Amino acid sequence: MHGIKKSPWIIHYDASSCNGCDIETLACLTPLFDVERLGVVNMGNPKHADIFLVTGAVNPQSQAVIRNIYHQLPEPKVVVAVGICACSGGIFRDCYNVSGGVDSVIPVDVYVPGCAARPEAIIDGVVKALAVLEAKHREMKALANSLDQTLYLRADKSDAPEILALQKIAYQSEAELYGDDSLPPLQQTLADLLADFERTPERVAVLAHAPAAEDTHPDADQIVFLKAVVNGKIIGSVRGFAIGATAYIRRVIVHPYFRGRGIGRRLLREIENAFPDVQRFEAKTGHQSKRNLFQLTHTGYQVLRTEPFTPHINWVFLQKERAPAPATTKNVK
Amino acid sequence: MSPWLRLIIFLVGAPLLGGLLAGWDRRLSARMQARRGPPLLQPFYDVLKLWQKENVVVRRSQNFYIFFFLLLVIFTGALFFAGSDLLLVIFALTLAAIFFVLAACKASSPYSFVGAQRELIQLMAYEPMVLLTAIGMYLVTRSFYVHDIAAHPTLLVLALPGIFLGFLYTLEIKFRKSPFDLSSSHHAHQELVRGLTTEFSGRALAMIEIAHWYETVFLLGWVYLFFAASPLLGVLVSLAVFGFVILVDNVFARLKWQTALRSAWVVALVLGFGNILVLSWLRHL
Repeated sequence: MHGIKKSPWIIHYDASSCNGCDIETLACLTPLFDVERLGVVNMGNPKHADIFLVTGAVNPQSQAVIRNIYHQLPEPKVVVAVGICACSGGIFRDCYNVSGGVDSVIPVDVYVPGCAARPEAIIDGVVKALAVLEAKHREMKALANSLDQTLYLRADKSDAPEILALQKIAYQSEAELYGDDSLPPLQQTLADLLADFERTPERVAVLAHAPAAEDTHPDADQIVFLKAVVNGKIIGSVRGFAIGATAYIRRVIVHPYFRGRGIGRRLLREIENAFPDVQRFEAKTGHQSKRNLFQLTHTGYQVLRTEPFTPHINWVFLQKERAPAPATTKNVK
Repeated sequence: MSPWLRLIIFLVGAPLLGGLLAGWDRRLSARMQARRGPPLLQPFYDVLKLWQKENVVVRRSQNFYIFFFLLLVIFTGALFFAGSDLLLVIFALTLAAIFFVLAACKASSPYSFVGAQRELIQLMAYEPMVLLTAIGMYLVTRSFYVHDIAAHPTLLVLALPGIFLGFLYTLEIKFRKSPFDLSSSHHAHQELVRGLTTEFSGRALAMIEIAHWYETVFLLGWVYLFFAASPLLGVLVSLAVFGFVILVDNVFARLKWQTALRSAWVVALVLGFGNILVLSWLRHL
């Protein structure tokens, strides 16, 4: 449909800008540039907006606000970083209080460089963002229409970049839940994830409290990655590894737009099937992640114990015994 | 024209006309601010887009109320254009507004909640004048039925000049235009974010927009009723009134709710009640 491209509503947030870019952004609304002729409206309300326009470098105070606004934008949404500070941190990037550009907090789609970015450049960025918005909309629609054709496959190293991108999007909601950016899934680098595809889970003893780490090493399998694919795009993933008779299930991630449609549940089932020899499954999640706890307890997991992870997060460990008669299990390719 | 035909024309034509009027509103406002403004069809693009967006809710039931708001606004207009009882029309209009307020309260966000309370105050502000308008029309035509009022041979506005002016005042409130855009402004950066509509997105927001289109056509239809004896004049005045509302929107700043309420009641008392008083005095002379 055309509508989506002809009616971009913007929400503008100043992360820590010197106001140079803000003034230029607002200049776009003035009679000289008049972006409303393109249907652009500057909204004060994130729930009505399509484009999130951020100026300025990110500091600890603005991080939470950026994440909060980003979550309130309904899908499909696009993020535009305006000005060099929002793109990379600019001249402030080495400051003790600056964590970098906007992409250090949320995924950014369009970068508009400049100090300050000129109104022409900002309008150009918004027009570019429209193309991204339309592509996202088309993708979402196509994906939503063919969710019943989701494929659940083994992921390999070539999927790592896409899984990492998905992981960062999926864990945004957790980061907001706990007000903590330092969650390991959000900090993971591509190199680290690529390495995960090869290494046997060495630190498993620490993570899972399996008895005597050294003994378990010979038995430890490689980490198995599964992906849920629709139209060639990964919308969900899970990883797990087996040590002895126990499989440890980690990082069930589903794109926020496709949650509540059974993809996570199916991923859990598939990863369990991927370890036909184990008798017991163990999963963990944060104590405030009610959605995860709900899903796990409804698929047969029982709370085992809780343990402090950070001052604000407690791990909840859950376990499940394998059902006695494995009914027609469709093994993952 | 049979009432059923008018009804069908309203159901199909009102959103088209209302959308075009909304587009004209934005374009005219832009021209008044020395800008080019969006295309005339912009409101349709907006609603099309909103219809395809994700619908984020605080509580699912809030959209249920919005659906009934839309339904009742359509019902109000349908009653009016089918030529039904004006009192019933007012009742349905109030009920629609109440559903909108309920939806905003249900969303339980401080912004939409304050917006809802201000909407109730606005409701309180314009309701007396709307009732007096119906009573004034009854005094002249001896009927509350829209088809009787529309068939009256003389221009109602000649007998009801005060009520007409008072009704214009209510229109400013009903269209939520400055100086009465207390509960939800069309412009960004107000103290309540977006007031009533803060917590609505996607389809719910699209439905609110469509309800506004129906409401615009219905209210301008009521303006037409003052000039029903001369149809061409009626249509021209209705459009002129809409232009006037836009002009006022661009000229005035927002009033405080106390001033809005007080002034609306003073207008209803002086212009509305005064007009009726003079009218009945002339009759008994």
